[in-house]
Amino acid sequence: MKIEKKANGSALEIALEGRLDTMTAPELEKELNGILGSADSLVLDFGKLEYISSAGLRVLLSAHKAMSAKGGMKVTKVNEIVQEVFEVTGFADILNIER
Amino acid sequence: MKLLKQHAAVKSIGGIVLLLLVFFATVSLIGYNSFTEALLSQYSEGAFLTAETAARRLDADRMEEYAQSGGTTPEYLEAWNEMDELCNSTGATFIYVIQPDRSDYAHITFLFSTIDHDSRYTKYDFGYVRDTTNDEYRQKYRALYELEADRELLIRDRGYIETDPHITAMIGLKGADGQVKAILCVQRQMDVLATARKKYLSKIVLALIILVLLVILGQSAFLHRTLLQPLKQISDEAKRFSKENVKAEKKLQDTIRNRDEIGHLAASIDKMEDRIQNYIESITQITAEKERINTELALATRIQADMLPHVFPPFPDRNEFDLYASMDPAREVGGDFYDYFLVDDDHLCMVMADVSGKGVPAALFMMASMILLRNNAMLGKSPAEILTDVNAAVCANNREEMFVTVWLGILEISTGRLTASNAGHEYPVLMRAGGEFELYKDRHGFVIGGMEGIRYKQYELQINPGDRLFLYTDGVPEATDADKELFGTERMIQALNEHKDRRPEEVLNGVRRAVDGFVKEEEQFDDLTMLCLAYRGSADDICLKDE
Repeated sequence: MKIEKKANGSALEIALEGRLDTMTAPELEKELNGILGSADSLVLDFGKLEYISSAGLRVLLSAHKAMSAKGGMKVTKVNEIVQEVFEVTGFADILNIER
Repeated sequence: MKLLKQHAAVKSIGGIVLLLLVFFATVSLIGYNSFTEALLSQYSEGAFLTAETAARRLDADRMEEYAQSGGTTPEYLEAWNEMDELCNSTGATFIYVIQPDRSDYAHITFLFSTIDHDSRYTKYDFGYVRDTTNDEYRQKYRALYELEADRELLIRDRGYIETDPHITAMIGLKGADGQVKAILCVQRQMDVLATARKKYLSKIVLALIILVLLVILGQSAFLHRTLLQPLKQISDEAKRFSKENVKAEKKLQDTIRNRDEIGHLAASIDKMEDRIQNYIESITQITAEKERINTELALATRIQADMLPHVFPPFPDRNEFDLYASMDPAREVGGDFYDYFLVDDDHLCMVMADVSGKGVPAALFMMASMILLRNNAMLGKSPAEILTDVNAAVCANNREEMFVTVWLGILEISTGRLTASNAGHEYPVLMRAGGEFELYKDRHGFVIGGMEGIRYKQYELQINPGDRLFLYTDGVPEATDADKELFGTERMIQALNEHKDRRPEEVLNGVRRAVDGFVKEEEQFDDLTMLCLAYRGSADDICLKDE
């Protein structure tokens, strides 16, 4: 998986590419732990994300909770497969998703 | 090792020997040349002395007369006898007087010719004419006659096989008019020179051989002590260490005290042994630790698997339904689980759940969730109540922010009424009697443990005799092949339908075979957990049918 960060002041944008699963979720978690403290808002660009597993969802949930007290978190450009996972797991009702 | 030893010694000694050879060659060449020069000058001096003595005895102006006389006059014979005595008393080999042919000096005519009686040569008779030996002689003769040279010396030192090395001293015999009338030649053999030179050379060679031998011996002893022996010691130690992997009792540095590269090498080997030893020790420790963890993990996996009900048929005395479930864990303990149990005689509770993540944390979370779900269900709560309460309990102590997706349904066995609630879990698959398996898109709540204070909703579904329900975790549709393609719900439903009329156990086996055939050798990271329920109807329905 590839993680691409773009910081615009305290607005953080992260683009993910590949698969967010058991193997790669810890990578993202580590990245986020390092920078979420200083970010006021977070946009996750899922344009090139092919797949997300429950381990990935867990990282999303953590980030969502961390950001909800601040400027919030937005997930953008979600593809069919990932959207289905969001719907099945109920994440679709919790997350701010922009397709 | 022997080969290396020879090789190293030969290389280092070879250079010194070569240098010695060059040195000796130079010295002996210089010696040989100055030796030859000194002897030659002595020889030539002697020869000229003889020649001058002979010349004083001979009257040049009488030569023409002697030539005419035919070599028979008493005066001539007396002169010849005196010359003969001179020759035999002075060590000359050959004393002769010649008159060259003045036109081109190509022929010479002998007037006198005497010889040392001990030599192996014979003298020439009076008036004997022969060709001049070579150009060298011709030039000498010409020089004496025409260039007013007093004396000439000819050295035949090397390369004459037929004669021994010799010198010829020549003096022009001049008449009263100052003209050269004949040439007096005194020839001396240089046998002493030759043997002396031979002796000199053999002595030099002998000295060289002795010196070279000494150098070789000395140098090899030196090399052996300073280089080869320490090297062999180091190499032996390295060999020993690689075999035993135990540090030597005595360090190499203690015996090899060289201050050169060999010393450094010994020190490095000692240091390397230290490091490797430490490394081996820590690896051994880590391995032991790892083995312990692996053993415990295997045990944990077994305990986890044992937690899941796994005796089939599960309720042998209940013929209203048939149920089979299975879990194939991926490479390590995971977070999938299924559960089923009778809440009371008429209510069968079924659970299918998937904890986020893998490994021991997921397994522990799974255990807790499973027990919470079962305990809440046994209190007779509705599915929505169960999930709501379990979520509240999980969220209260969930610092790690783990969550679990749960599908929980309670079947009223007598009526076939299924009440279910879905907390972010996969859609169940339903088959109506005589129909096909199809996804049942039920309402979803959020995952359990994700968010506090969620109130789950439940739905009801009428299950009729012959209907089937299939529950699974995402390990099935998300099984992945080598090209990262997912197995998918479509393939799963297709596999289900291929075995739809079989008993639940065979249905699950069929799906697993389909998944295995799809992923082939690719290692799977998710558990494969499935449950299949086949409802036959209430006990009354079955009795009616049997009649």
